Amino acid sequence: MDIAYFPGCSLHAMAHEYDTSTRLVCQRLGINLYEVPDWNCCGATAAHSLDHHLSVGLSSRNLALVKDMNLKQMTTPCAGCFNRLKTASVELKQNDDLTAEIEKLAGISLTGAKEVEVAHTLQVIMEAVGMEGIKEQVIKPLNGMKLAAYSGCLITRPRAIAQFDDPEQPVALDHLLQALGAQPVHWSHKAECCGGGFAASDTDIVVDLGGQVLEAARQAGAEAIVAACPMCQTNLDTRQRAIEDERGIKYNLPIVYFTQLMGLAFSYSPRQMGLNRLLTSPTTLLRSRGLS
Amino acid sequence: MSADFYKPMRLNEIDSSLQEEIKKVCDINVELCMECGKCTGGCSNAHIFDYTPRKIVQLVKLGAEKTLLSMDALWTCVSCQLCVDRCPSQINIPHIMDYIREKAHRQGVKTRRINVELFHDLMLNSIRKTGRVAEAPLMLNFNLRSRQYMKDAVLGGRMFLKGKLSPFSPVVKDIDHVRRLFKKIADNREG
Ligand code: SF4
Ligand code: SF4
Repeated sequence: MDIAYFPGCSLHAMAHEYDTSTRLVCQRLGINLYEVPDWNCCGATAAHSLDHHLSVGLSSRNLALVKDMNLKQMTTPCAGCFNRLKTASVELKQNDDLTAEIEKLAGISLTGAKEVEVAHTLQVIMEAVGMEGIKEQVIKPLNGMKLAAYSGCLITRPRAIAQFDDPEQPVALDHLLQALGAQPVHWSHKAECCGGGFAASDTDIVVDLGGQVLEAARQAGAEAIVAACPMCQTNLDTRQRAIEDERGIKYNLPIVYFTQLMGLAFSYSPRQMGLNRLLTSPTTLLRSRGLS
Repeated sequence: MSADFYKPMRLNEIDSSLQEEIKKVCDINVELCMECGKCTGGCSNAHIFDYTPRKIVQLVKLGAEKTLLSMDALWTCVSCQLCVDRCPSQINIPHIMDYIREKAHRQGVKTRRINVELFHDLMLNSIRKTGRVAEAPLMLNFNLRSRQYMKDAVLGGRMFLKGKLSPFSPVVKDIDHVRRLFKKIADNREG
């Protein structure tokens, strides 16, 4: 399967390990990722917070680039980028007035951009390969590792945009982890918010909301939280100490990307999967399952 | 928090023009709200909002534009989309929030959360300049501009050791195209 790949700004910087692990895992699964040449930032929270038209405009440029690659589908592992790109794609298809207005303002044609479909990489893997296909590639099963599958907000919400899984009780990530031989825990916060883009600008919000996610995972007996978004991972990992200080509880919960675990199960080394780059070290956990 | 936020509304201030405007521009019909409160029940951050999502929809119906433009909730909504999916009438509250925030920003209405607004602004500047966001330089710039010189210094050190902080600012080759989008779309609609 050939598909355009939109890494987004985070995967080229802080979340480099998410980029590497995604590429290797997809390659193994026969999903050929072609990075969109000269892509630009999706505009993130900033653009939709301050200028809706600009937000759609920035994402439209990326959609048009995909069309130029002669591909019809684009995927991104970032839930934030996914939400912006897919919102733009749906708006272009449904809101003729807005599309016309942006075309007129920017002096561009959005006809090509309209035809491109967007999906989060988790969705692509589950739909193109599925549980059975993943199981076939597993060489080192995760040996019953107890994991909290954390979908967060934007992979499944809003329902009308995401059009994937259940908005509040998602199961795709749990299924994927099961296929790797892990044991996903039942927990309350799989689709709650980590605090999103507020890590720097209003840290208290991330300490509050992220703290609730960590606490829920701990109560459910999880040994690690599995993320599918660089923002979720970064918030829960980098703010974990501040959360521990505030709550007086030592969580010590590694926050791992789902692609990193897939790679491990496909027999890549922890270093190849960039597991050494996480602030909360997963080494003890990996050793306990003979994976390190 | 200023007592201002809770000033009761007087009935003679009711005006349906905001409701009409939101229907026209955002394609959201607040008349469908049945005040069930499911949005507020689901909201990630209602516990720190000055006006909860259900009240915000009511404020739109009442045409209380001044209250909406200066409310704190505009800057603490985390866009988690829980309210949208819970609303039996599919009222897209974060879209209403975006619309009103954009207006407040353009009119220069003061917010208590100046840092949230500043961060958005700096991020947009970075995209305008290079087409992408360079995380580490953005954080640094934000700390300087918000005068929090020591903010996250320890965390920054730990992240640096993990190779998470790259000093590079990647640049889109066709940056002129991106800048044109800013110029034509953002600047044209200002003022
Ligand atoms: S959930 Fe929808 S209908 Fe119910 S109070 Fe909120 S906006 Fe109104
Ligand atoms: S999108 Fe905003 S208003 Fe809606 S539930 Fe989330 S935080 Fe609350």
